[in-house]
Amino acid sequence: MDVPKPRILTRRWGLEGSHTLAVARKHGAYESLRKALTMEPSAITQVVKDSGLRGRGGAGFPTGVKWGFVPPPEKRGDKPVYLICNADESEPGTFKDRYCIWNDPHALIEGCLIAAWAIGAKTAYIYLRGEFKFVKDRLDAALAEAREAGLVGRNILGTGIDIDVWTHLGAGAYICGEETALLSSLEGGRGQPKLKPPFPAVEGAWRCPTIVNNVETLQVVPWLIEHGAAAYRAIGTEKSPGTKLFSCSGHIRRPGVYELPLGYPMIELLNDECGGLHDGRTLKAVIPGGSSVPVMTPDEVARATMDYESINEVAGSYLGSGGFIVMDDRTDLVAALANLLRFYAHESCGQCSPCREGTGWMHSILQRLAAGEATEFDIATLRDVANNIHSRTICFFGASAAMPVQSFLKKFPEEFFGRAGVDVPDDWQPRAASAK
Amino acid sequence: MPTVKIDGIEVEVPAGTNMIEAARKVGIDIPHYCYHPHLSIAGNCRMCLVDVEAGGRGPDIACNMMARDGLAIRTDTPQVATMRRATMEFLLKNHPLDCPICDQSGECRLQDYYMEYGQYESRLSDPKVTKHKRVDIGDHLVLDAERCIACSRCVRFGDEITGTGELRLFNRTDHTEIGIFPGARIQHDYQGNLADICPVGAITNKDFRFTKRVWYLKETDAVCTECATGCNVRVCHQQGQVFRLLPRRNDAVNKSWMCDHGRQAFEAITGLDRLLRARVQGQPADLDDAVAAAATLLREAGGGVAVVLGHSASNEANWALLKLTRDNLPNATVYAVAGNDPGAWDRSDDFLMDADKNANSAGIAALMAHDPAIRDRSDLVQALADGDVDVMLVLGDDVLGRLGADGAGVRVIHVGSFRCTTSDAATVVLPAAHPYEQDATWTNRDRRVQRGRRAIHPAGDSEPAWALMERLGAALGKAPGATSAAAAFKSLASSVESFSGMTYQSLGNGGAVLASPPSPPTDDEDALETIHA
Amino acid sequence: MAGAFPRPPDQGHGPVSWTDEEQARIEEICARYPTRKSATLPVLWMAQRKWGWLSYDVMKLVAETLGQPPSEVYAVATFYTMLKKQPTGTYLIQVCHTLSCQLVGAEEIIAHLKKKLGIEEGETTPDGMFTLMRVECLASCGSGPMMQIDDDYYEQLTPDAIDAIIDGLRSGQPLPLPRPEVNKWTFRSLES
Repeated sequence: MDVPKPRILTRRWGLEGSHTLAVARKHGAYESLRKALTMEPSAITQVVKDSGLRGRGGAGFPTGVKWGFVPPPEKRGDKPVYLICNADESEPGTFKDRYCIWNDPHALIEGCLIAAWAIGAKTAYIYLRGEFKFVKDRLDAALAEAREAGLVGRNILGTGIDIDVWTHLGAGAYICGEETALLSSLEGGRGQPKLKPPFPAVEGAWRCPTIVNNVETLQVVPWLIEHGAAAYRAIGTEKSPGTKLFSCSGHIRRPGVYELPLGYPMIELLNDECGGLHDGRTLKAVIPGGSSVPVMTPDEVARATMDYESINEVAGSYLGSGGFIVMDDRTDLVAALANLLRFYAHESCGQCSPCREGTGWMHSILQRLAAGEATEFDIATLRDVANNIHSRTICFFGASAAMPVQSFLKKFPEEFFGRAGVDVPDDWQPRAASAK
Repeated sequence: MPTVKIDGIEVEVPAGTNMIEAARKVGIDIPHYCYHPHLSIAGNCRMCLVDVEAGGRGPDIACNMMARDGLAIRTDTPQVATMRRATMEFLLKNHPLDCPICDQSGECRLQDYYMEYGQYESRLSDPKVTKHKRVDIGDHLVLDAERCIACSRCVRFGDEITGTGELRLFNRTDHTEIGIFPGARIQHDYQGNLADICPVGAITNKDFRFTKRVWYLKETDAVCTECATGCNVRVCHQQGQVFRLLPRRNDAVNKSWMCDHGRQAFEAITGLDRLLRARVQGQPADLDDAVAAAATLLREAGGGVAVVLGHSASNEANWALLKLTRDNLPNATVYAVAGNDPGAWDRSDDFLMDADKNANSAGIAALMAHDPAIRDRSDLVQALADGDVDVMLVLGDDVLGRLGADGAGVRVIHVGSFRCTTSDAATVVLPAAHPYEQDATWTNRDRRVQRGRRAIHPAGDSEPAWALMERLGAALGKAPGATSAAAAFKSLASSVESFSGMTYQSLGNGGAVLASPPSPPTDDEDALETIHA
Repeated sequence: MAGAFPRPPDQGHGPVSWTDEEQARIEEICARYPTRKSATLPVLWMAQRKWGWLSYDVMKLVAETLGQPPSEVYAVATFYTMLKKQPTGTYLIQVCHTLSCQLVGAEEIIAHLKKKLGIEEGETTPDGMFTLMRVECLASCGSGPMMQIDDDYYEQLTPDAIDAIIDGLRSGQPLPLPRPEVNKWTFRSLES
C-alpha cells in the first residue's frame, strides 16, 4: 500500500555502529532527554497522553493514562517511585524488543530516563529475559557509555537530576512478562503474578508506586518529545495512533520485524512486507498478535487492518504484541494447537488452580487428539476446560492459554472433529461452558 | 462503615472486611481453601469466585474483594455454581483420591465441597502427576505432596506467623509441589497448626495419624492450662478418651493457633504420673476417708496451718479454698507461691508460649487484691524456716518443689492431678481432675477469664478440685458452696470485685476481662483535663 | 535418607564460598535494590557461572549470602528453567520447539542433532561435551529454526550449519558467532 511508512522506532536501525553512543548521539539520541528535563514532569505525561500512545506489550493500554495513575507526591509520602522496563519478551511469535535493544539501546535508555522523570522515579530497572544475556551485554555496554557521558546516574546533563538505570536478567519463565509476575521476579522471588488490586501504579515493586512499560513503548517516548503529540497522531488511525513493530514468522518468505503505521492492511503486511507465502501454498490461518490471541481465518485476514480495533471487530482477536504467525495449507492445526498448549502447560506459574491444572489437562487432551487417540467427548472436555479457565485466574495467562483453544475450536472445528473421526456435531457450541 | 449487598441482603461491615467475612455475617457461606482470616490473602484457589452485580467487574474472588459502598455480589447464580464445580474439577484433577487411607477424611474440604458444589462425573482420561509422599517434615508432621492443592496457607503460616519460612512451593505448572529444603526439617513449636490449616490431607499430624476417624470424635470447648496464655482449644474425644486437641479461634487470645506442647499435653491425663487414688500416709485410701483425714489434720494442727492457693488451679477451686479457709480455719495463713514447678516445660517465646507456666496467675492476683491477708512466696519461705508451719494444705502446685524445701516436719495435704515432690511428701493426697475433666474457669495473662468445659469424666477417683474443696469444707464444718462449678463461680463473682457481674453465660465462648482495680488518683491535672476534654 | 524431602541425586559441591572479589561484587549488586532478596537471581546466575550448576550446597550459600531461608532459594531455583538443578555437559544445546520454529522445521533440527550427537533429548554425550534439550520459545521466531548453546543464539539452522557448529565446538575451534544475522531486523528470503 502506498502509505507513508515513517520510521520512528527503527530510525537508527541499520546505521553502522548504531548501538554506540557516538553514532546514536550523532543521529539525535538524548536531545529529547535534554528537552524533557527542562519540562515539568506533568507536561511530559500530557504529551504522552495526547499522543494516544498505547502500551506495546500486548494490552494496548494508553501509556499516558497509566503514568497518571502514580499517586502524586503528597499522597505517596516518602515512598519512592519505580520505572520498570519490560524486556522479558517471551510471547511466542514476538521478537521485536531484542532488535529494539540490539540496534538502538540508547533509544531505550533515553526513553527510560524521560519516563522516569515524568513519573518521579529515581531508579529504573530493565528486566530482560534470561536467554537475552547477549542483549543485556550490549545494553550494559551502552549504559556504561551513557553513565560515563553523564547521561545516566547523578546530575544528568548538569541538571541536578539523578536517575539510575539498571539491567536485571530473568532466568527462564514466560510468566515474568506479566507485569506483576515481573515485579515478583525482580523482588527476588518466584515469578508469580500478584493479586490486583492493588495495581502496580499504586503498590508495585517493593510495595511502592511502579510503572511497567514495554521496550517498544518506551522507545517511542523520545520521538514524542522531539516531534510532539500531534505529529504522532497524524500517523496510524484515530484510536490506534502511531507506528508499531510487527514480528512476522511462520510460513512466509521474509520473516522479520517490520515497522508500519497502525491501520495497515493485514493482507498487505502478509503479501508485501513478508513477501507472501511460499510458491504453491495457500493461507490456512494467522495468529495476529502473539500466540495468546485468537486465531484468524484467511477471510478475516483479508478484511482486517493491523490496529487494536479492526482485528477485534473483524475476528474477535487482538493486536497483542504484534507477533504475526502465518500458517499455510500444509499446517496440521491440531498439532499446531497442541504445540501451543505444550508451551502454556510448561509455562503456567502454578499459582492458581484453573491454570495450574487446566493447562496441563488441555495439553494432554490435544496430544491425544493429535495422535488420533481422542474422541469427540474429549473435544467437548477441551472446550469446557478452556472456558472454565478463561477470566477465572489471577492473571491474564489463563485467558492467554484458553483463547487459542477456544478460537481454534470455533473457527476450525472440522480439523478437530475430523481427527476424532467424526463430523462436527450440528449442535456444536464452542462457547458453552460447564463441568458436567 | 460501608454497606454491601450479598444475594440481595444488605449488610454493614467495617471497612477492610472482605466479602467472605461479610457473607458470613448474613449466614452465607462462600466456599474457600486458600483464604484464612489470620493469614494474608493469596487468592489462588479460586473457589470463592462470585458474581458481581454492582460496583465492580465480575466474576471475581470474594476473598480479595473489600467492602465498599455500592458493592453487590451474588453467590446463588448458575454461573457461580458452574465456577465452583469447575474449580473442584481442577483441584481434583491431579489429586490421588486416596480418601480411604487419608486421615483428613471427614474434615477435608475437598470432600465437603465436592459433595456440596462438585458432584460432576469424572472425565479424566490422562494419568495423574505424581509427587512425593509420606515425607517426614517435622517431629509432628508428615507431608503427602500429591494431596496438596497448593493453597499456600502453610507457606504463609511459616512466613507470617512463625517467621521461619521452611515450607515453599517448588517447581511450577501442575508439577508445583509443596515441600521443605532437601534434608531440612521444621523445628518450631507450632507445627500442629500447619496440619490444622491444611484444608486437605497434605500435611497431617503424626501424633493423631491413624488413631481415629474424625467422625467418631466429639468436640468440647476448653482452655489449655499449660501456661498463662490460656489458648482456647477444642478437646476431641470419644468414650472418655481424648485423641487430640485443636485450637479454637479466639482473636483476643490465640487467634487460630496453639503450641505443640499444649496440643499434646492431654497425654498426661493417662500418664504414669497421674494421681488417680486418694492416699493417706502413703497408702491408697477411699476418697471419703482421705478427706476426713485431711480435715482432722487441719483441725488438730499443733502449730500453724498454711493454706497455699494453686496458680494452676481454677478460679473456682481457689475461691472455694480461700472461702473454706476463712470460714473454718480462722488461724490459718493463706499463701500464694508464684513460680514454675520444677521440671515444668521450660520453653517460652513472645508469641503464645508464656514463661509463666501457671494457667491462673492473674486469677490468684485478683484474689490477692481482694484479700490483702494473702501472703506471698517469701512469707511462706520465712514461715517454713521459722518452723511456724505444722500442716500445709496445697492446691495443685508443687509448692515444696518450687521452694526447694523437703517439707521435713510439715504435714502436707496435697490436692492435685499429678505426682510431684509435694505429693510424694504429703500425708494426705486428694486426686484432682484434669482441666479437661471438669467445668471451671482460668484467668489468663491478659486477665481474661475463660471457661473450660468438661470433655471427659474424671479418671479414677479424681474429682474437680472445687468439688474436693466442697467436701473438705463440709468435713470441717462449713462447706464453701461449691456444689457445682457454676455455683462456685457465682459465689466468686458476688464476692470478689474484679469478677463482679460475670456469669458463665456472660463469659460465653470468648471469655471476659477482669475489671481493672480502680486506678490510683493522679496529681497530673493536665492529664485529667485531657481525659475530660 | 529415609523420608527427607526430595533428594534427587545431588553429589553436591561440598563446602563452597565466595572469593573476596565475588563478595564485593555481590554487595555492589545488592546496593542496586531496596532489598537484598532482590539480588537472588543475579547471585544465582553468578553461582551458576562459577560452579556450573546449583547444588544444594550452592543454594544454601546463596541463601546465607542474601539472608534468605534456603527453601526460598530452592523455590526460586526450581521456578526458572535456566537455573540448572543438575549438572550438564560442557555445552548445553537448547533447541526451540515452539510454534513458529516448529512451522519451519524445529523437529527436523532436533532429529538431526540427535543423530549427530548420538544421544536422546535430555542426555549428555559420553565425553561430557554436549547436553541436548528442547526449550520453549526463545524470541527468535523470525529466524528459526534456532538453538541456544549456553549464552549464544544460533539461528536459521540447517543440518549443514549444525554440523559445522558442532564440529567446530568439538575441535575446540568454535565458529564465529552468527551475530551479523542478529544485527538485521529483516531477513533474507528462506527460499533464496
